[in-house]
Amino acid sequence: MKKQNEKMACPEAMDAETALENTAPYNLKRLVGWIVLVVGVILLIRLGIRLLADRKYNLVSVMIALLACVPFYFTYEKREGSIRRMVMIAVMTAIAVLGRLIFGPIPAFKPMAAIIILTGIYMGPESGFLVGSLEAVVSNIFFGQGPWTPFQMLTLGLTGLLSGLPGLRALLRRRLPLAIWGLLMGIMYSGIMDIWTVLSLIDGFNWHRYLLALSTALPYTITYMVSNVVFLMLTIKPIGEKLNRIQIKHGIF
Amino acid sequence: MNGFGSYHPAVLFSYYVLAVSFSMFSMHPVIILASVAGGFLLFGAQNGIRKLFKELGFFLVLFLLMSLVNPLFIHNGETVLFFMNDNPITLEAIIYGSMASLMIVGVLLWCRCYGAILTTEKFLYLFGKLIPKLGLILSMVFRFIPLFKVQIRKINQSQKTMGLYATDSVADKIGGGVRVFDSLVSWSMENSIDTADAMKARGYGLPGRTNFTLFRFRKRDGILMAVMGALAAAVFTGFAWGSYGFYYYPYVAEISRDIQSAAAYLIVLAFMCIPGILELKEKVSWNYLKSKI
Repeated sequence: MKKQNEKMACPEAMDAETALENTAPYNLKRLVGWIVLVVGVILLIRLGIRLLADRKYNLVSVMIALLACVPFYFTYEKREGSIRRMVMIAVMTAIAVLGRLIFGPIPAFKPMAAIIILTGIYMGPESGFLVGSLEAVVSNIFFGQGPWTPFQMLTLGLTGLLSGLPGLRALLRRRLPLAIWGLLMGIMYSGIMDIWTVLSLIDGFNWHRYLLALSTALPYTITYMVSNVVFLMLTIKPIGEKLNRIQIKHGIF
Repeated sequence: MNGFGSYHPAVLFSYYVLAVSFSMFSMHPVIILASVAGGFLLFGAQNGIRKLFKELGFFLVLFLLMSLVNPLFIHNGETVLFFMNDNPITLEAIIYGSMASLMIVGVLLWCRCYGAILTTEKFLYLFGKLIPKLGLILSMVFRFIPLFKVQIRKINQSQKTMGLYATDSVADKIGGGVRVFDSLVSWSMENSIDTADAMKARGYGLPGRTNFTLFRFRKRDGILMAVMGALAAAVFTGFAWGSYGFYYYPYVAEISRDIQSAAAYLIVLAFMCIPGILELKEKVSWNYLKSKI
């Protein structure tokens, strides 16, 4: 902790490693926080499906949003620049929502996943999850809320969380790994959303139907993957470098 | 009053989460019946017998309605009772429908009691620090969306005056879009720092602010939490061992009657009845003390 304080006092003395990670130290508590978050969201969704046949999705969405705040709050509340970080979260969410609005007419070709991935890489896993889940719930105000909202919150949140994991953060700042990561995240988005597709059918989930849904969604999956790569390559400079710069400049650690 | 509602909000909240999830995640008739029994016990202890009977009518109608709907749409099961419009009406579907509707009745009942016991004040005590944060972030997002739209237009116009026209070629258009996006991002980030500094200057989130709450985690809260935790752990083990497994199709499973299952059923019943018993005990001792005056 003391070491961290010294670094906060003189940012220019930071070694390259810290400048890259640029966030609270990783410890067991944070890891537990991530796991609790993901498991909690999945449980909430399951609960929502059981309770009154999935009609309470608004309540579930709000609960997920609340839950997404918890790890963010506990990791960053006591740290320097917590208000600035909070406003930055709002900015990133707004940018992601705007991205989806601008590309609204083109189905599945959206920059939101790319923006969320970059947020995860540059602002940490908790922020990534928060921005991802808030983006889903806010943009669905314009595109239509529904039982799929909790699933999108989970998937996009997970996209942000995974992108911010300690080992990956440094690696994903290079273009080639980032492009591959974008492809993977596109597959994951499609894979989890198809669970919803299958669940929304009358007779519930089975693997055969799931595979069928996956194969019919293949064009969408490919579009997700392509759009992720395209937008990641286009926005890594405008968003990534600036996020890094602004956090160093204004001492958001 | 010192009934169930007087315990620490954290205890109450975790109890409700556990009770409602147990009732929803299992279709075992014993769990469902235990949940409904516990719910009715608590409701009766809270509101008195007369109110309970009044509510009973409403829940009965709900129960009948929902259990009649299931056999009309689901024709699984091997005991066909009769045919209706060439569709078989099966005993299994009727039993399943009534159990499912009983489950919903139980959950509704718990939610009813929940509102009376875990009041807004207690809920805010538990989640109050998170709700303003989420609310603030969301309201900022909603402000930023139109603000950024205006800013995009401004950036576009100023780029045009600088001579950076986008021609009809796709590459040029994408390049122009990226340029606008680039300056939008830098502007919005710097702007956000200004916002944050303004908030800080006005004392957002200063540590000196306190709020007064009556809630303290006492010894009895700890005891109840421990009892609850032990029972809940036992229920979870029961789930893991399959003591609460049950199926309705193609024929209804038998409720196993060996000692192990009996213990599992008793544990669930005990868990579901905790709040009702506590509340009832308080009512009785209150009336007893009143009678002595």
